[in-house]
Amino acid sequence: MAAEKAQVVVIGGGATGTGILRDLALRGISAILVEQGDLAHGTSSRFHGLLHSGARYAVKDKEAARECLEENMILRRIAPNCVENTGGLFVQLPEDNAEYADQWLAACAESGIPTEELDPRELRRNTPVLHHRVTRAFIVPDCAVDGFRVLWSNVNSARRYGARLYTYHSLTGIQQSNGKVTGVELTNQLTGERKYIECEMIINSTGAWGGAVAALAGIELNIIKDKGTLVAYNHRLTNQVVNRLRPPGDGDIFVPHGTITIFGTTSVTVNDAACTKPGHGEVLDLIKIGQEMIPDLENYRLIRAFAGVRPLYQAGNTAGGRSVTRNFALVDHQERDGLQGFISIVGGKFTTFRLMAEKTVDLAAKRLDVTAPCRTAEESLTSPVSEQWLERGKRVFGIPGAKKAADRLGDSFQRVVEEAEKNPDQRKIFCECEVVSLAEIVHVAGDGDSFTLGDIRRKTRMGMGTCQGTFCSYRTLGALSGYSQFAGNHREYLTKFLQKRWKGIRPVLWGQQLREAQLSSAIYCSLFGMERML
Amino acid sequence: MTQENRLALDNCIKCSICVSHCPVAKVTERFAGPKQNGPDLERFRLEEPAAVHPSIGYCSNCKNCDVACPSGVSISAMNAKAKGEYVTLHGAPLRDKILARVEQMGKASRLAPSLVNRLGRIKPLRVLGEAMMGVSSEMTMPTYAKKTFLEMFQPKKITASKDKVLYFQGCYVNYNTPEVGMALAAVLAYHDIELTVEPFNCCGLPLIANGFLDVAREYAQKNVSKLQQYIEQGYRIITTCPSCNLTLRREYQELFDLDTSQFNEQMMDAFEFLNLLDQRGELKVELQELPKRVGYHQPCHLKAAGCGIPSLETLRHIPGLEVRDLDAGCCGLSGSYGFKKEKYPISQEIGQNISRAVQELAVDQVISECGMCQLQVHHVTGAKVYHPIQLLAEAYHLA
Amino acid sequence: MMKKNTDVLVIGAGLSGLMAAAKAVAQHKKVLLVAKGMGALGLSSGCIDLWGYQINQPDKVCTNPLAEIAKLVSHKPEHPYAKVADVLPESIDFFLQICHQNKISYLNTNRNWQLPTALGTLRPTYLVPQSMAVPDLAEVKELLVVGFQALKDFYPDVLITNLQKNTPLGAHCHLKTLMVKLANQELNANTLAHLLEKQAMLEQVISQIKPHVLPGMVVLFPPVLGEQLGHEVTEVLSEKLGCSVYEVANIPPALPGQRLQKALLHHLKTQGVEVIIGCQVTDAQITEKRCQGVVANSNGKIMEISAQTMVLATGSFLGGGLTSQSNEIKEAVFGLPVKVCPGKWSRQDFLSLAGQPFHEFGVAVNDQLQPLDDQGQVLLENVLITGANLAGCNYPIEKCGNGVALASGYKAGKLVGEAGR
Repeated sequence: MAAEKAQVVVIGGGATGTGILRDLALRGISAILVEQGDLAHGTSSRFHGLLHSGARYAVKDKEAARECLEENMILRRIAPNCVENTGGLFVQLPEDNAEYADQWLAACAESGIPTEELDPRELRRNTPVLHHRVTRAFIVPDCAVDGFRVLWSNVNSARRYGARLYTYHSLTGIQQSNGKVTGVELTNQLTGERKYIECEMIINSTGAWGGAVAALAGIELNIIKDKGTLVAYNHRLTNQVVNRLRPPGDGDIFVPHGTITIFGTTSVTVNDAACTKPGHGEVLDLIKIGQEMIPDLENYRLIRAFAGVRPLYQAGNTAGGRSVTRNFALVDHQERDGLQGFISIVGGKFTTFRLMAEKTVDLAAKRLDVTAPCRTAEESLTSPVSEQWLERGKRVFGIPGAKKAADRLGDSFQRVVEEAEKNPDQRKIFCECEVVSLAEIVHVAGDGDSFTLGDIRRKTRMGMGTCQGTFCSYRTLGALSGYSQFAGNHREYLTKFLQKRWKGIRPVLWGQQLREAQLSSAIYCSLFGMERML
Repeated sequence: MTQENRLALDNCIKCSICVSHCPVAKVTERFAGPKQNGPDLERFRLEEPAAVHPSIGYCSNCKNCDVACPSGVSISAMNAKAKGEYVTLHGAPLRDKILARVEQMGKASRLAPSLVNRLGRIKPLRVLGEAMMGVSSEMTMPTYAKKTFLEMFQPKKITASKDKVLYFQGCYVNYNTPEVGMALAAVLAYHDIELTVEPFNCCGLPLIANGFLDVAREYAQKNVSKLQQYIEQGYRIITTCPSCNLTLRREYQELFDLDTSQFNEQMMDAFEFLNLLDQRGELKVELQELPKRVGYHQPCHLKAAGCGIPSLETLRHIPGLEVRDLDAGCCGLSGSYGFKKEKYPISQEIGQNISRAVQELAVDQVISECGMCQLQVHHVTGAKVYHPIQLLAEAYHLA
Repeated sequence: MMKKNTDVLVIGAGLSGLMAAAKAVAQHKKVLLVAKGMGALGLSSGCIDLWGYQINQPDKVCTNPLAEIAKLVSHKPEHPYAKVADVLPESIDFFLQICHQNKISYLNTNRNWQLPTALGTLRPTYLVPQSMAVPDLAEVKELLVVGFQALKDFYPDVLITNLQKNTPLGAHCHLKTLMVKLANQELNANTLAHLLEKQAMLEQVISQIKPHVLPGMVVLFPPVLGEQLGHEVTEVLSEKLGCSVYEVANIPPALPGQRLQKALLHHLKTQGVEVIIGCQVTDAQITEKRCQGVVANSNGKIMEISAQTMVLATGSFLGGGLTSQSNEIKEAVFGLPVKVCPGKWSRQDFLSLAGQPFHEFGVAVNDQLQPLDDQGQVLLENVLITGANLAGCNYPIEKCGNGVALASGYKAGKLVGEAGR
């Protein structure tokens, strides 16, 4: 068993975990991040991708609202390629409580959230898909944020300061001696290999898995698992985030992301952190609610549904759902349970991940006697792609191809453009729905962190568009036969990829998506006979 | 984006049938194809209107993608809009600005049509034109008529006209082939139907195909208001050019959101109108025997109208006439497209199917409704090419 | 409003619609074929699959599909084959004859072929275009798979790797791959097929392959060997390379299916069938149990078509013959009842050997292909249903899509051809 050393092992490669890794690294604390799947395996890829302005929480929790606003502004500054500055709308319908709007306005003002009222007639002109019955509408600084990109940017930034990452490694044991953490035991999910890491501290940032990880240390940590279902529409329904102006509930957020729109969510308490199966019924319920805001909602094409499990923490209380605070809790197990070197960070929301990481690392640093201050809000996550490189990119990938690739690749964009300039062959657009080039796919496949087609998909958006990978997954497999990790098991890789896509398609299997599924099934079964492939 | 367009965009299942049926993509890799430029990038354009593939200029606007699409996606309209966006952003060469203004070219030629025709046949001048302007020196230029159709046509009052008919003659008939319009006038007069004509703006198709949507929109608005008045007075509007017909009926609505719903009912191809007479038992079917074999080329825009080939139904009444469908697809010229230096080879490559079919069927005469197709079929085969209405007029002894 | 009148109206331009029109016109009927777009035939492999696997052992290929279909008829009477098996042999003969007349040749060896695909799997099929008729791989000593750098849809390495796992290759079979490099950066299958018809281009390709060719070698290509009918790219390659050359099935766009579609459409036109693509039938006028006519939308224009008999060949969901909402499935033209599996449209495994239930949804018919209600009563006497519109067939798993289309289209054409005599 190979032993490796680090001061801190962070468990859980979500927004919080990667944020913590970066914060630790920037303070000069040696750290390793361990994730059981790919980054964002959990909830950080399974939310609506809304970077809150805080307006949604203003009435109920001004402190949380203020935090959101502050973090929103920080992330826009340090990671512009991860944030799509769409702006947001809050719209009220006749059946909504009219007084709530005034209450909300006052709360926003108090929290420092800028709002601007919009003439409903102007709204109808600019955003015709919204219901003409909208009575009041306000603009707030909401944004769309790409979870995958933020996470990878965190890790890449941390790596520049010596941090390490193990994806596809699950935590199988926590070593302790004399009431002190001494190390962790990991198992490689792909090879079954075991690994041991010596450390002084473990930070448990595993979200919905928090209880299970704590249990490995013999500690009880009660986490409410709240499943939220979301759907992705085939195109941008609106160019701004749209919220319903009423107390937060199901199906009241639409977020445009590049080519698609994500709409959600629901709230159901579940037992299993891995329970991310979206249901047909939940989808229909969502659409019904959403139709109040966008009347033609049921006619627009859904490409998939997905679900994430929100980890909600409430010490000692068992109530669930929306009544539990969306705020985070930092649990110092040294104080609470007498185990030195073990910290859990639970709850919270994506928007404030950096702040959560800062508070967590403040505590960790104190325990490790490190005095370096947090720098994560000052130092940029990625450097913006220059106009010159964007122009060069446009020449090889076209306008949308270059812009999207620049956003996705951030610091690696230059290298990919150079490759494509050298090898015209790599300019081919492999994923035609999302305009992803072979150069980008090849770059990602060779980045050392990609082990499955799914990993490539998450980093490039290959297979995330209209056809859901029917055409590009096969192409990608072929183009990557030179890479040892993709060469041998074509059947397994392709099957896994198609099956993951299928899981999201099934709950929305009607209309055009049913036609698409029939085409896909005709290709992989009728034409390729993959159901009997060896 | 209208609700209808959003739904049409959602209909695309990426099956690539449109790509397989694109005559341009078939012969050159310079065009990224109707799918990539159309429904694929349309999803990006909702966020970023500039998301247009630079190869958009290679779309010839033949609309075979629309016809082939099993999902009802208005691919060609997406491409036309994208081309407009591209031209707005990047500008267009002077050549395109000239080629697109068919109406103005026609008007200018009136000063000395025969001189223009002669100049068009002087090879060194054409070579110069290619070098300076990028207009292919190889392509046969359309010849301008000595007198325009509107100058030639003598309105004839028919007291008990069976129908009120307005003829939208189109630029090509007016300036280049007035004999087509005259043949139609004769055939209708023979059936005691009074024909009304009036100067119209160009339908705008050449402008649309070159990405000048703003100018085209102005023409469209003017034409629609004029035509609307006729329709309100109970006129039917007939055309002999399938491209004018499709532009007025469909493009105006798809590209400019103009209400053309009444056009769909009241505007028809000349032969659709004649077939209507036939169904009412009013078509004169005592025709002269024409013992000959002619090829027929279906223009893409007639195919895109989705109403079959009305002329062939009428021509069936001509004894002895054998019409053989070339069934060879797009001719490749697509209006101004094939006149452009860089597109001429593409246009000729597409046209090879036509020359093969003409050879196989061993015909030396071809009929086709579209003036531009007539020009190209003649150019690639040397065959005599004319409008089916001329054949019908001949069979009525009216030629 | 434009009006059209015909003896037989065929709705749909997939294989079953084309066959129905061909058989009807062969019986001297006036036939009009309208379709919303080009049918799914162009997306298919181009082979005619009849029946792939043994009914009792669905993982074992059946050698004699006709015998297997005979068993199926008693085993599963709701399967479309049970309604059309009587004409299956003659429909095959008819098909082969049309293909022969239209410069596209298919082979029939009265048994299932096992043909390699671009993914390296083997697929059982029955009638095979000459260009795809790969011989028994167990007998092959030298196999070369050729791809094109510019074509993003075909990878010789993938084919070879999986072929070794999926095929009983001969013990001494040598497998090689080769990527042909052309000046073109990217070519789709159709552009490449067109280019390969140019002699200079073909010479270039040959010069790159020739040095790798060994005696008795079998060379596999992506399905891009020429676009036109009767243009013998495969033959020229075979001759100049001095070995056997074949195309393998691949994802669309692929040429073999397109060629078949083109040949059949051309056949119809030369036989006097009026073909209108881009014309969507939207409504039907029904009195008693007869359809008097339909209403069609031709790019905005409304057209009324009356006919004595009609053939519904609009396909399943993919073709647009069936439309669905979250809780409801409809037949698009006549609003016929669709046989579904309530609450169970799909299975958890995408590649389930049991097949996805939605493929089996369709219209129930009698032996005359007339649509039935759930009581088994005829709903429309002069409307016949064919191809993927029919209920009870899971073609992706059973490997019978084109077979059912062929036989049911032919039978419908035959029945409407006999009507009114």
